[in-house]
This record gives sequence, structure tokens and C-alpha cells, in this order.
Amino acid sequence: MNTGTYISGLLHLLLIGWALIGGWLSLPEDEPFEVAQVSILTGEEFAALTAPPSAPRAATEAPAPALPEPQEPAPAPAPEPVPDTPPEIAPRPEPEAPAEPDPAPVPPETAPEAEVSDVPPVAPTPPAETPGTALVAEPTPPRPSTRVAPVPAAPPPPEAEIAEDVTESATPSPDAAPEAPAEPATAPEEATTEIVTEAEEGKDSALAPLASARPLARPDRPVRVAEPAEPAAPAEPTEPEAPPADAIADALAEAMGGGAPETSGIGTAPSGPPMTGGEKDALRVAVSRCWNVGSLSSEALRTSVVVAVSMQEDGKPRMETIRMISYSGGPEAAAQRVFETASRAIIRCGINGYDLPVEKYDYWRDIEMTFNPEKMRIK
Amino acid sequence: MIARLMTLLLALGLALPALPALAQTGPLRIVIEEGVIEPLPFAAPDFVAENAEAQQYAREISRVIASDLAGTGLFREIPGDAFISQITSFDSPVQYADWKAINAQALVTGAVSVSGNRLVVKFRLFDVFSEAPLGEGLQFGGTTGAWRRVAHKVADQVYSRITGEGGYFDSRVVYVAETGPKDQRQKRLAIMDYDGANVQYLTDAASIVLAPRFSPTGDRVLYTSYESGFPRIYLMDVASAGRRALEDQPGTMSFAPRFAPDGRTVVFSLTQGGNTDLYSLNLSTGARRRLTSAPSIETAPSFSPDGRLIVFESDRSGTQQLYIMPAGGGEARRISFGQGRYGTPVWSPRGDLIAFTKQHKGRFHIGVMRTDGSEERLLTASFLDEGPAWSPNGRVIMFSRETPGAAGSSALYSVDITGRNLKRVPVRGGASDPAWSPLLP
Repeated sequence: MNTGTYISGLLHLLLIGWALIGGWLSLPEDEPFEVAQVSILTGEEFAALTAPPSAPRAATEAPAPALPEPQEPAPAPAPEPVPDTPPEIAPRPEPEAPAEPDPAPVPPETAPEAEVSDVPPVAPTPPAETPGTALVAEPTPPRPSTRVAPVPAAPPPPEAEIAEDVTESATPSPDAAPEAPAEPATAPEEATTEIVTEAEEGKDSALAPLASARPLARPDRPVRVAEPAEPAAPAEPTEPEAPPADAIADALAEAMGGGAPETSGIGTAPSGPPMTGGEKDALRVAVSRCWNVGSLSSEALRTSVVVAVSMQEDGKPRMETIRMISYSGGPEAAAQRVFETASRAIIRCGINGYDLPVEKYDYWRDIEMTFNPEKMRIK
Repeated sequence: MIARLMTLLLALGLALPALPALAQTGPLRIVIEEGVIEPLPFAAPDFVAENAEAQQYAREISRVIASDLAGTGLFREIPGDAFISQITSFDSPVQYADWKAINAQALVTGAVSVSGNRLVVKFRLFDVFSEAPLGEGLQFGGTTGAWRRVAHKVADQVYSRITGEGGYFDSRVVYVAETGPKDQRQKRLAIMDYDGANVQYLTDAASIVLAPRFSPTGDRVLYTSYESGFPRIYLMDVASAGRRALEDQPGTMSFAPRFAPDGRTVVFSLTQGGNTDLYSLNLSTGARRRLTSAPSIETAPSFSPDGRLIVFESDRSGTQQLYIMPAGGGEARRISFGQGRYGTPVWSPRGDLIAFTKQHKGRFHIGVMRTDGSEERLLTASFLDEGPAWSPNGRVIMFSRETPGAAGSSALYSVDITGRNLKRVPVRGGASDPAWSPLLP
């Protein structure tokens, strides 16, 4: 027994010790590894930053800016020789490097690019454009280090000229420029499409119920979103902006001109600005002032009723339209008593017309009032 | 995943602006949870006398109806001086605009005809602002001597149609009429209309009487009398005033009787050997059953409307408190836990409340509580309030109030269960121990 125990204990100790030692050994390796990555990235940044930005301004300022940056990085020596020979040639290889950095993690690739300085022979086409990058490097070297890589990746390879335009519009562009266009492209499209659809529905619809309009709008979205992505700006701005403006204008015109009431019937979707909370509260308070529950039985005071009423445009309720559409909490007889008090309240306080905004008549043409006397009950 | 999530968020962001528009679809919806509590203004122009004999009744009937309604505190009569229109014919159309102008929300019109000693009253009720009648027109007939009852019945109909609950005007109250100074007070049973009219005495002043209680049908009355020198329970037929003792065992005292809802059983307190317990008595067979067996005093029993439970008072805990037990006896559950002493519990006809008398800090109160003892509310406070009695519809409580001092007297008061409309019942002389009958047939 003891032997076995000793053996077991020894093995466990060895295992624990190995784990501890192993951990000690492994930890340091990991840490330096991470640090190494960071350092590598910064190195690329420098290379990338120096190369791409210089392109545009290179024509005039090229020499000065190019020199300082390459000097900072020790590895730069390679580029130094480049400027010596032809000022423009040196930058050429650099711009290519930044384009690839997207895969940023790959520092080795940059190194060879730096060496590509040998390329002078190859230089013919790309170099002329790349020098501009060096200039750009002056202002923005610090921040963009990480993001710069991903953003520029797309633009630089295809067209150098495009890169020039971009840099002019926004110097910090390498980061913001690429991201910004991507977001706005999508956001405005969708936003506009939705607004457009609603506005259009509002317009067209004077005859159509919303229920039918909604399903139509949904299928449209994906299609339009896809389209704008390609054509970009031109198509988007026209579609989205125009419709809402038209819709609002039309709605206002209808409201002001009184055209809405004529065309819209029951079930018509109201247009224009909706009733505000204050306007609703004013109506609620006005009716509640006349709602006398003092004569209701305790049973009726537990009963809530929903009363529907149609209003005239002068704010007076149409008596013949007052009706109870549902009740809860008590028997029908009690609900009937509550309805009677509610009906009296609506009529009495509306005898001279409720103070409602005429321009929003479509919103309060039909009203459903829930009368719940529960809080008025003495328990 | 991230792309999908972003798409979803974007879609939600785009949908949010649309929500207000969607919320505006359909009718405008508002919720009203607060109103006002005030008497409903009504107009009750004099009823139209359809013949000369009806002339003397037409006005009186409309006055009784108006008084009944206004007396509830739920209605306010608009004086005739304010009327723009006059009702000259029962069938003539109502000029709603004229009644709206004086803010009459309800309008009661009627006509009276008399033939011999036969009187017929018909009426209509209108919702002025809705410009529509509230219910069908009705007519009641009776002898000319019962014209007040006819008027009460009309008022009950009006009350019921507007409030949604039964009325209580065509009912009677039996009570103890008191005369003389406190140290030589004479007490006798009396019965009257709920509003103090038509008082009739059921017993003479030869012996003290206490705590009369109506039967469920209102045709009989239980009460306690000291006629034999000791308290004894008697059963009286209201119509004939005939009576008989229910408990006549030597050496015992019986008191605090009350009918079971079926009218065939009576529960009461019996003191025997210095101990007071509750008993039930079958009126048909005379069989008596003991319901409690405790060294304490158990008294003032009252049945629940369904007859399954009894609430009573007991000092078994050391102070006078309220308890509930099964109608056949059994374990009692205390329901009063507030400060002070509780007594004379009475179950509401609706079954939802128990009225009681409470004594606390030298003051007496009439209060109500839920049947589980919760939601206790004190409705009155005075030198001495006691003996609550429920109206037939469970909306009003009548009780007796005594004023302090040697010259103090007792009177009947009524109060709405909301605590509003506390008022004295116009009864000539002193009065105490009221019991309210059910609505008369």
C-alpha cells in the first residue's frame, strides 16, 4: 500500500513540476511572440505610409518628405539608395508594399519590396504614381497604422489615379475614405428606400390600405439595395430624396387644401404629421372632465369599455356614431352603464367641438376611447 | 455573422422611423382613467295628471321620486324654476335642447291617473345628451293609499337604470323607537319606510326591546324583549303583529338573533351557566344546535348571503374581535386585527363586505372590511355609533348614533359605503337598532 502511494505521489509531483516548469518556459515564448507582431506591424506602417501618400504631391514636394521617413526605420537603408539614383523610382516599390499590407501580418513581403528598389528597370509604369505616397506619409504616419492597411488595399492596386483623387479629398483618407464610402453607400440607400416607399405609399395610397402597401415595400428593399451598391451615388440620391419631399409636400397640400377628406374614406391611412402627445392629452383631459362616474355601481366601476366615435371636422362628435365596441371586467349590464356615462361625457364636452388640430383631421376623424373607471373605485 | 448582424441592426434602424407612422394607422386611440365624481344632474318635472282625481298625487309622486334620487347623494335635482320646457303631455316629444341647456343629464317624465281608489303611474327616463330614452317606459298600479310605494318603485327603476345596481327605496326599516330621558327610557319596536315615513309601532312601551331583525322576505321580525324580566327572543309577524317566544328555558338568556338566508333557521346567543355561546334553531322543528363551545362570550352572529358562513364577535382572544366560522359550527378564523374592539358584524347582501362597529380611543366608528379582514375602512366617527344595517342593494349602511350627556338621544343615520352622503334619517323621536328589509314585492 505505502509503496503504491509513494509512487503515485511521486508521479503527481513530477507531473505538477513539469506543468509548472513547462508553463514558465512557454510563457516567455508567447509574450515575445506577441510583441514581435506589434513591432512588425509598425514597421509595415512606416513603409506603407511613406510609400502611398507621397504619390499625389510628389511632383513638387517629393524629395524632402521622402528622405526623413526612410531614415527613421533602420531597415530603410535599401530605399536610401533609391532616392540617390532617381528620386521617383525609390517610392514606386513602397506603394506596392502598402497595398499588400492588408494581409498586414506579412512583413517579409514588405522587405522584398523594399529591395525591389532594384526594380528601377521595372519602374516604368507604376513608379510615377507611387511617389505621391511618400508625401502623404508626412502628415499621417502615426494613427492609421493598423487601419491604413485594410482600407488602401482595395483602391491602390486597381487604379493609381483614383488614389490621387481620394487623397486630395481627405488627407486622413486612407482610413476614413474607404470606410466612409462603404457605409454611406449602404445606409443612405436603405434609409432612402424605406422612406421612399412609405412616402410613396402615403402618396399613392390615398386609396389603398396600408396593409397592402407594406408587403409591397419589403420585397423592394433588397432589390434596390443591391442596385445602388453598384451604380452608387447617382441612383441613390435621386430616389430617396425626392419621394419623401414629395410625400410631405403632397400631404401638406392635401391637409391644407382639404383634398384629403374627399379622397380618403374609411380605412384611409392618415398622412402628414401625426397627433402629438400633447394634443392627445388635451383631448383626454377634455373628455375626462365630463366623465362622471359618481352614479356608477361598484360593479360598473370595475368594468372598462372601449367606445368608438367619429368626429366632424369642427371637432364635434357625431352622436349617431358613438358605440361600444368592447368591454371587460364586468357583465354586459355594467358595461352598458359605463358606456352611457362615457357617451354622455363625449357628447357633453364636445358639444362646442373639441380643440383638435384641423390639419390633422385624418388622424382624429375616428377615435377609440377606452374608459377605465377602475382607479375611480373606492376599494 | 457580423455582416448579418449588421444587416439586422440596420434593418431595425430603418424600421424604427416607420413605427410612429404605423402607430397612427386606424382610429386615434386614447385611454381615459380619470373622471369626476359628482351627483348626476337630473330633472323631474311634475308628473302629468291625466284626470282631476290624479291632480293631488301627480306632484307628490314626482317629489318623492326626486327626493329618493337626490337622497342617495348620487343625483342632484335641477329645480323646476330652471326649466325651459314644461312637460304637458306624457307622449309629447322631448325638447332635448331645452334640457341640455340647463345641463339636465337625465329626465324623468310621467303621468298619473286615478280611478276610484286605484292609482296608475307611468314614467319614462331619458338620457338628455344622448337624446334617447333609457329603457322602456313602465307603469305601476296600486291603491291610492300606497302612492308612496308606487313612487319609490319608480325611483328604484330610475336608480337602477342609471347606476346599474338595484335600488333600495321601496323598502322598510324596523327599529327601536325611544322616548324619555336616558335613565327612564322607553323602547318599543317600530317600522317605517326607508325614508322615515309611515311610522308604525309594533310593540308597546311596557317592556324593553332590542335588536330587531327582518326575515329574508321581510314579513317577520326577530327581536329581544325583557318582557319576562330576562332577555328572550321573539318572532313577530309584521302584518298581524302576532308574536311568540322562541327560547323559553328557565335560567337562560337568549338574545342577538338573526335569520339564516333561507328563513328557516335562526342563530342567536344563549347564556347558560354564566357562559355565552352561539346556537342555531330550526323554526320548523324547534331543534336547537350548539355552534360554539368556548368559555368566552360569542354573540352578534350574521350569515353570509349564501348561508355557508357566520361572522360573529368574540372575546376569546382577550379583546372583542370578529371571527368567521362555518354555519354548522367548527373552527373559527379571526378576521379583525386592527387596534380597538370590533363588534356587531353584519354581512353585506352582496357578500363582499362586512360592516362592523369599532371602538378605539374612546370613539365609536362604523366601518367595513373585506370578508378576509382586509381593506378595513372606517366610515364614521362619533361619541357612539353602533348597530350597522345594510340596505337591500348593499350600497348604504344605516346605524344609530347617540349624543353624549344626560340629555343625549339616539337617532338613525345612513352613510354610503364610500363614506360619502352621511345624513340623518328623518325619524320623529329617538331611534336605535335599525334593521333594513329587503326590497318589497
